[in-house]
Amino acid sequence: MSAAIGMEVLKTKGRKIWLVVAVMMAVQLLWAGWAISNKDANDLAQGWLFFLYQFPMLNCIIMPVIAAVVASRLSDVEHKGQTFKLLETIIPAQRIFAAKFIWGSIYMLGAALGQLAIMIGMGFVLHFGGPVPWSALAGYLFFTLVVSLTIYIFQQGVSMLVANQMVPMTLGLVGGFIGLFSMFFPQGLQKLILWSYYGVLMQVGMNWDEATRATDFYWTAIDWSGLGLILVFFVLIYGIGRILFVRKEV
Amino acid sequence: MSNIIETEGLSKQYGNIYRVKDVDLKVPEGAIYGFLGPNGAGKSTTLKMILGLAKPTEGEIAVFGKRVNSKNRLENLKNVGSLIESPSYYGHLTGEENLRIFQTLRGVPKQNITEVLKIVRLENQQSKKVSQYSLGMKQRLGLASALLGYPRLLILDEPTNGLDPAGIQEMRELIQSLPQKFGMTVVVSSHLLSEIDQLATRVGIIREGELVYQDSLTKLHQYSKQHLAVRTMNNEVTKSFLSQNGVAWEAEDDYLIIPQMKDTMMAEISKALGQNNIGLVRIEERKKSLEDIFLELTGTAVSL
Ligand SMILES: Nc1ncnc2c1ncn2[C@@H]1O[C@H](COP(=O)(O)OP(=O)(O)O)[C@@H](O)[C@H]1O
Ligand SMILES: [Mg+2]
Repeated sequence: MSAAIGMEVLKTKGRKIWLVVAVMMAVQLLWAGWAISNKDANDLAQGWLFFLYQFPMLNCIIMPVIAAVVASRLSDVEHKGQTFKLLETIIPAQRIFAAKFIWGSIYMLGAALGQLAIMIGMGFVLHFGGPVPWSALAGYLFFTLVVSLTIYIFQQGVSMLVANQMVPMTLGLVGGFIGLFSMFFPQGLQKLILWSYYGVLMQVGMNWDEATRATDFYWTAIDWSGLGLILVFFVLIYGIGRILFVRKEV
Repeated sequence: MSNIIETEGLSKQYGNIYRVKDVDLKVPEGAIYGFLGPNGAGKSTTLKMILGLAKPTEGEIAVFGKRVNSKNRLENLKNVGSLIESPSYYGHLTGEENLRIFQTLRGVPKQNITEVLKIVRLENQQSKKVSQYSLGMKQRLGLASALLGYPRLLILDEPTNGLDPAGIQEMRELIQSLPQKFGMTVVVSSHLLSEIDQLATRVGIIREGELVYQDSLTKLHQYSKQHLAVRTMNNEVTKSFLSQNGVAWEAEDDYLIIPQMKDTMMAEISKALGQNNIGLVRIEERKKSLEDIFLELTGTAVSL
C-alpha cells in the first residue's frame, strides 16, 4: 500500500496541484481580509464567531472546486496514458482506488489546515475579542474534513470512471453552487445534498436586525444526526465508487 | 510439451454478440505464438481475458498450468508481462520515472530498470519526458515495462502497430531474441500475416471471434503446397467421378482443385477419365500462397 501511495506522489510531479490549493487559499485569505476590513471594534469582538460563520459558507464553493481539481489531476494522467490496464495487472484495483484517495485526502487536509491558519492568524493580528475558541476551531477542522473528503471521494469516483474530465469538473462546480444556495432549502432537502453539509455542520448562527442593520452571531448546537448522515454518505460513495472501478473493464 | 496458456471454451459477449467464441488457445512453453486475425476479430479481447482485464462470459483459463480465478490472478500475473493495444505511460514523467513506478509496484530490483532500458535501447532517452517520445519509443518503453520483472510469459498485443518499417524491424528482432535470451514464452498478436510469418513458431488464427487455425507455422506453410489443379473437357462429369472415387475437389474458375497425390493415383484418374471420353487438358501443381490461405481462413484480404 505504501508503495502505491508513494507512486501517486511521484505521478503528481510537476502537476502543480499544491499550487491550485495555494491559489484557493489566497482567494480565501483575500476574501476574509476584505470581509473583516469594514468591521468596527464592536464587530471584531465577535470575530471568531464571524469567521466560523463565514468560512463554512465560502467553503460551499471553495472546497468542491479544490476537490474536483485534485481528483481530476490525479486521474487524468491515467486516462491519457491508458495506464489502468497495466496497473491492474500489477496491483489490485481496490488498492489503486485507496492509494488515490489517501493521497488526494492530503490535499484536502492541507486546504483545511490552511483555512484554520488564516482564521487563527487573522484573529491574533486583529485581536479578536475573547479567548481563542480552540474546541470550536478543532470542530471546524473536523467537520470541514468530513464534508470535504466525502465530496472528494465523489469526485474521485467520477474522475476515475469517466475519461472525459469535463464531466467531474462540471458536476463539482454545479454541486458547489447548489451547496451555496442550499441555505435557502428546507432542512430535509438540505441533508440530501452533499455540498450543503458545510452549512449543516456549522457551529455558529446569525441574527440580523433589520431595524439597526446589526448582525449578531451566536453558538449553535452541533447537528449530530447531520454528521451521522454525511459519514453514511461517505461510506456509501466510497463503496459504490470502488465496486464500479473494480468491475470496470479496461 | 506443457502449455503456458490453455483456454477452454473461452467466450466473451458484448451486448448480445459473441465477440470471442469458444476459443481453445494452447500456447506451448518457449513458443513465439503468433495470434493472427483481422482488425476486430477479437484478439485484444481474448488477451484481456487472459490478463483478467475483461471478464469471460464463459470458459476457463489456465496460465502456468493453474486455473485462473480472481483470487490467484495477480499472483499468477507476477510472471506475466503485458502490452495491450497501446503502451501505457505517464507522458509528464520521464522514461526512467515511468519504469520506476512499475518496478516499485512490482517489487522487483531497481537495477532491472537499467537493464530493460538497455534491452529496448532507450538508455539515452531515459531522462526525456515520454510525451516527447516518438510512437516507436513509446512502444519500446511499453515493452520495457512488460520486461521489468523478467516474466516467464510475455503478452504483446500488436506491438508493431503504427510503427514505420525500421521500427517494425527493430521490434521484431527484439521480440525474436527474448525466448533464447530469457527463456520467455511470447504471445504476439497482429493483423499482419507477413509479420507473424517472420516471427512466430506457432500460429493461432482468429476470425470473428472463432479460432479457425492453431498449429505450427511450418504446418501452415505445408498447406500451401498440397494442391493440384486439373482442367478437363467436362468438369461437371469429372466432379461426380471424383466424388464417387472419394477424391475431394473444389471448383475454381475453369479448374478443379484436388489434393496433392501420388503419381500412380493421378495416372489412374487420367486413364479413367480417358476411358469416359473426358479429355484431360491441364494438370498443374498449384502453390497456394500463405496469403490465399489466410484469406480463406479469415475471409478478408491480407493487408501488408
Ligand atoms: N468494451 C467493448 N464493448 C463493446 N464491444 C467491444 C468492446 N471491446 C471490443 N469490442 C468489440 O469486440 C470486437 C473485437 O474487438 P478486439 O478484441 O479489440 O479486436 P482485435 O483486437 O482483434 O482488433 C470488435 O468488434 C469490437 O468492436
Ligand atoms: Mg486489438
